[in-house]
Amino acid sequence: MKTLTAFFLAAAACYPQALDLKHLERLAGKAAESTNVTLDGALLQLGAKFLSAEKPDEARVKKLVAGLKAIYVKSFEFDKEGEYSEADIASVRNQLHAPEWSKIVDVRSRKGGDNAEIFIKTGGKDIGGLVIIASEPKELTIVNIVGRIDLDELSDLGGNFGIPKMEFQRTPKPPSKDDE
Amino acid sequence: MSYLEEDLKAALRRVEAPEDFAQRVLARAASPEARPASWWKELGRLLRPPRVQWVALSVIASVLIPVAGTEYRKQRQVRIEGEMAKDRLVFAMRFAGVKLHHTQQKVLGLTQTDNRL
Repeated sequence: MKTLTAFFLAAAACYPQALDLKHLERLAGKAAESTNVTLDGALLQLGAKFLSAEKPDEARVKKLVAGLKAIYVKSFEFDKEGEYSEADIASVRNQLHAPEWSKIVDVRSRKGGDNAEIFIKTGGKDIGGLVIIASEPKELTIVNIVGRIDLDELSDLGGNFGIPKMEFQRTPKPPSKDDE
Repeated sequence: MSYLEEDLKAALRRVEAPEDFAQRVLARAASPEARPASWWKELGRLLRPPRVQWVALSVIASVLIPVAGTEYRKQRQVRIEGEMAKDRLVFAMRFAGVKLHHTQQKVLGLTQTDNRL
């Protein structure tokens, strides 16, 4: 147990900007679709190594991830509203303390219930980390990028490509008794 | 003088060597056959009959082929894992990019429905 604790402490020390998102894992059981990407350390380096500098799409990503240490994405899509609580979001938000973290965007829509918050970790002239919390009545997304990141480049990447259709990590909800 | 002395004198009389004698001796000395093989070469020759060479080759092949196969499988596994990590990385970055872009659009009040999403 002590070894395990030491391991987690060491891991936390390696990626000080990484958030603890374990409490959100229970939402995967309720979600119609869940996306979970965890890329850190050697796996991130390995993936970056396989990005081609020749292909324009991959070259842009390669340039972006050069200063990154870890990427965590958790996204849940629900069939109905109210499957996640404000406490779930608050537990993420509470980890983002000033002055280390700054909230640069806070969009709240009373009408549609679409909310978005962007936090950046500042230190020096570069952005050292990014957290996006995007919540809709039937969807909750947390993105945590650890390391140096260029927001304009990242936004361009999203604006040009859209979300790729990839099936891995997308775990459809098991059919319930009502579906049968 | 006795007959014995005569015979000895005849047998030991000076005879001139043929003209090409020296050349033939030098040529023979220079030829590989003339050189006596060293003892370790002789020993090596004894230990290297054709069958032993084939056995040695078989042993080397039986060691090298599995090692090369294992190495190939290892490299293939690394390549597969690397490709998977790359796909996840591209997906994660684009996903993050889309969320960021979408939020920026909201801030700018220019949110448009993007059919590509």
